[in-house]
Amino acid sequence: MQSIVRWSVVVGVLVVALGIGGLVPQAQTQTFKVCSDISWPPFEWTDAKGQFVGFDLDVMRIIAILKGYKVDIQNLGFDSIIPAVQAGQCDIGASGFTITKERAQVVDFSDPYWESNQSVLIRTDSGLNIITAFKAGNKIGAQRGTTGAQWVEDNVINQGIKVELKLYETYPLAEQDLINKQIHAVVEDEPAAKVAVKASKGVLKIAGIINTEEQFGFLVRKGDPNKLLPRINDGMKEMKKKGIWNNLVEAYFGVDVNLDRVTQCWADLKGYLDKNQPDAYAENMAACMAGESYKKP
Amino acid sequence: MSVILSWDTWRLLLAGTVVTVELTASLLAVGLVLGVLVALGQAYGPRPLAALCSSYERFFRAMPILVLLIVLNYGLAFLASTYELLWLRLPAFAVAVLAFGLHSSAYQSQIFRGAIRAIKPGQLLAARALGMTRWQAIRYIVLPQALRLAIPGWSNEYSGVLKDTSFVFAIGVTELTRQGWQIMQRTREVFLIFITVALIYLVLTYLGTWLLEWVERRWGVPGLTGQRQEEYGRVI
Repeated sequence: MQSIVRWSVVVGVLVVALGIGGLVPQAQTQTFKVCSDISWPPFEWTDAKGQFVGFDLDVMRIIAILKGYKVDIQNLGFDSIIPAVQAGQCDIGASGFTITKERAQVVDFSDPYWESNQSVLIRTDSGLNIITAFKAGNKIGAQRGTTGAQWVEDNVINQGIKVELKLYETYPLAEQDLINKQIHAVVEDEPAAKVAVKASKGVLKIAGIINTEEQFGFLVRKGDPNKLLPRINDGMKEMKKKGIWNNLVEAYFGVDVNLDRVTQCWADLKGYLDKNQPDAYAENMAACMAGESYKKP
Repeated sequence: MSVILSWDTWRLLLAGTVVTVELTASLLAVGLVLGVLVALGQAYGPRPLAALCSSYERFFRAMPILVLLIVLNYGLAFLASTYELLWLRLPAFAVAVLAFGLHSSAYQSQIFRGAIRAIKPGQLLAARALGMTRWQAIRYIVLPQALRLAIPGWSNEYSGVLKDTSFVFAIGVTELTRQGWQIMQRTREVFLIFITVALIYLVLTYLGTWLLEWVERRWGVPGLTGQRQEEYGRVI
């Protein structure tokens, strides 16, 4: 009998507690799903601990802090991101997307946040240059669905030069094929090509830059149902005004940056983001990535 | 080389291995239940049900798994957002289990159908003559034998789907292959990383088939299942 009484009390307390919990209005923070192909340093990649790091992701996290919402970052294949945004499975696509007419027909873009050119990657010992790399019969590599691949189609193949365009699932595989002498050149965005050159320890070099002047944008579902674009655009302006933007650029694209440091830097500094201090985060991130002294939160 | 010696790398690869094993186990379980039902429907169901089961099996066997994954993933999301059916918004892992489970159930149904056909019809008649109902005869006479006979074929299905699970990254599930992929993106050690991933798949396949062989031995029925054959085969 006693135990029944005791249990009734426990159950009763639980019911009341849950009931009150349900009645008290809770501050609603919206969470948006950010989808990214987290495999493209320095824009987005996974560090040695498997954490999601990179410029695009930091921008997304910081805008969320500034504008008072939460982001849930999802890793998805580059090709799948636009269909997923269209289907409403992702709210934002943040994966170094170049703003193109074709893409703008199916999704809406934010203001441009980055300007990039394509670079032509060759083997140092191949003796090719930016012209001879595209000689008829040569094999050119690029990642499927990228503007690099599109550039080769539009400006080489469609101009009647019979090169063979080999498409890869991801750029590092194209670079590996280049190192293995399976192809003659790889066309990819400049910042990523620089990472490849560094990683190859002198085997690869950039033969030249093609001034495509592409602009990167974040993308959302057509019609922007969650009214995200004004917040993203405004957030970017605020980041620039506060100097956060420059610090992030310094952190990921600076001259002295060693991307391997990111594992340590992210582990030490992500606490600033948890404490909603993006300014301190960006400042210390720039110092840490350049190998200078920094302050942990 | 240092990449492979680092604990961080192994921690990530093992995390991926866990996802691969969870996915394989769940999809085989879904496929087993549906597969047995479809096989029974095909073998003992009334004509219309048997025909329905056969078309189910043909339909899902005809679908490439990647196509099925994408159709289900984006199809469900489309229905969910167009008709505001929020319960259709499944996590990617659940979509993967569903797609693979349907696909595998079609294959598994054929393994079980073959096993059911290997049971002589005389046994069913004898059971009925002893006063068992049709369902009792299937439940107590046919199924216990058929499930044992199905183990070798089932072991084959296990090693097949284990490797197919690497497709699930198309819808955003990070399993073993994708973990290797991500480490490769960072370190550019293409060969080293993927040879390690290959060895992990080898170990998983070996462990799984070994476990199923053990199950077969443990619950085998002399004269029904194949051990005798193998024993004599070595001597003769």
